[in-house]
Amino acid sequence: MSILTLLFYAIALLIVAATAMAVTRRNMVHAVLYLVLSFFGTAMLFYLLGAPFLAALEIIIYAGAIMVLFLFLIMMIRLKKLPGMFFPVGQLLPAIFICAGFLAVSSVLVGGNPEGWTPMPAAQASPAAFGVYLFQTHWLAVEIASMLLLVALVGAYVLGRRVRGPSADTRKEAP
Amino acid sequence: MNYLLGLIVLLIKIAVMLGGLLLVASYLVWLERKLLARLQIRLGPNRAGIFGLLQPIADAIKLLTKEEIVPTAADGFIFRLAPAVVAVTAMMMFAVVPLGPDIRLFGRSVPMVITDLNVGLLFVFALSSLGVYGVALGGWASNSKFALLGGIRGAAQMISYELALGLSLVPVVMLAGSFSLTAIVDAQSGVPFIVLQPVSFAIFVISAMAESKRIPFDLPEAENELGAGFHTEYSGMRFGLFFLGEYVHIQVLGALTAVFFLGGWHGPWLPPVVWLMLKIFIVALIMIWIRGTLPRLRYDQLMALGWKVLIPVSLINIVVTGAFIQFAGFS
Amino acid sequence: MQPIDAHALLSPWQPGMLSLTLYGVVVIALTLAILFLSRWLGRHQPNDEKLRVYESGIIPTGQARLRYPVPFFMVAIFFLIFDVEGAYIFSWAVASRPLGWAGWLQIEFFIGVLIAGLIYVWVKGGLEWGPKRD
Repeated sequence: MSILTLLFYAIALLIVAATAMAVTRRNMVHAVLYLVLSFFGTAMLFYLLGAPFLAALEIIIYAGAIMVLFLFLIMMIRLKKLPGMFFPVGQLLPAIFICAGFLAVSSVLVGGNPEGWTPMPAAQASPAAFGVYLFQTHWLAVEIASMLLLVALVGAYVLGRRVRGPSADTRKEAP
Repeated sequence: MNYLLGLIVLLIKIAVMLGGLLLVASYLVWLERKLLARLQIRLGPNRAGIFGLLQPIADAIKLLTKEEIVPTAADGFIFRLAPAVVAVTAMMMFAVVPLGPDIRLFGRSVPMVITDLNVGLLFVFALSSLGVYGVALGGWASNSKFALLGGIRGAAQMISYELALGLSLVPVVMLAGSFSLTAIVDAQSGVPFIVLQPVSFAIFVISAMAESKRIPFDLPEAENELGAGFHTEYSGMRFGLFFLGEYVHIQVLGALTAVFFLGGWHGPWLPPVVWLMLKIFIVALIMIWIRGTLPRLRYDQLMALGWKVLIPVSLINIVVTGAFIQFAGFS
Repeated sequence: MQPIDAHALLSPWQPGMLSLTLYGVVVIALTLAILFLSRWLGRHQPNDEKLRVYESGIIPTGQARLRYPVPFFMVAIFFLIFDVEGAYIFSWAVASRPLGWAGWLQIEFFIGVLIAGLIYVWVKGGLEWGPKRD
């Protein structure tokens, strides 16, 4: 076992542990923090696998933007302790179903291809190489992504406007 | 043996860097109080030592021995975590700042930077986006209305200006062709980027000041509306860590301004480290000066400046710079 | 893809991951040391009055867990969308020279769509914060 393999398992353990903590927390803000920790682990994993650019984006976008949005959302809907069962059956069943499906698909993918078992030499893709590859091979996908983001922006604005309602300007607690 | 020697050199490097960072941070506080006092026709600290030079030490002792209060309704874990997040992210940013060219030591070349990541610029950007948590969580965990309002304002302000900050650095990346801070400094051995990119420079400095939450962007801690904003409930060294984070952040901003636009450690006659420190010092002085002269913005003005001026201008700047680089590249 | 050498990765003479990890450990240890020192040196005499939330001398009423106003949430969504677009712009910027004019045209279109989104939100009033002026 090389040192990189050891690091891989250590980081993987961190991710699993942090995600498990995130799922089982009752306090939503604590859950968000553990999820941020889990994204940190994922970023380290990306770096270890030779994708420093993706590692940085993982932290900037997932930990820095999406989780901040989650935090805002949690603070927007009033926090209250949820009574009752920790895992309601209605949520547990689809979760188990998805897990089983994922396991089946990944075992078929990994097991079906014997070449997938041979370890590759450690390598790293520089950000410039990534940029060249992205814009030379997948530039159309990038343009479509821009359209998608435009739609997301418009949709978010229209939905948010509806939430805001007519009484927004008269609210007293506007900071 | 060789490995151990390397480890010791590395540890000394880290110790000198962090020691310098903390020392300069404490004396920046002194300098700021002194200069602000002068700008407001007061004397400033002048009791502890000559010119009040021992004031930072007195402050540190006072902060360390004060009682640390955790309000009854606060979320203890997050309340204790938030100041540490602010201080740690600010200090971590310095890891990628190159202090000078490699030096020779024990027949080996020792790089004058803690780590030269090929995504260094994004590393800084990622850390500054994590700094938002310190403010938002600190305000939320206190369970105080002032603190919460300060935290909300701070988080929204920081994420808005982070966009402008990031976009203003795109032309720098284009000119240097790399995210590595060392490569960016190397690319400015001839002409510093401030000459090529004055618009980017202006956007960067304005949004960096907004990120640091100082006057005229200090709405998260506007004292006449919100007490002390997001750190209203903090006392003792936990407040001290917020404070330390702020003054380390000023140095980081100075260093980043120097690295991205002012040519980093490049400069004639003086040794490279001195040049870098001089540039950091000048940026810090200007920030203190601005604090002494400008009034605070209104919240809608703040958001309008970020979203309606800085972001569109930086986008247009990117397009123009891109075309310019393509033209220059063919000649 | 450039191959990486595990030895160079872990050498303290290289400005790589090892030095960053060590720096991070030292920074966190320093912060913990400061917090521990202040806990050890500081006094502890809590009482009800002291632990009450500070509201400039007025006894606080109700909870402080008030709801975030929606505009702040909108800012977070806009930020997220523009941040993702920023990631694409950054990945183009670092390779802008090898990509040439073709890459410039592609990102030009991308930024054009981005600006169109910004203009839409702007015209619709999504960036307005002050009270409405009719």
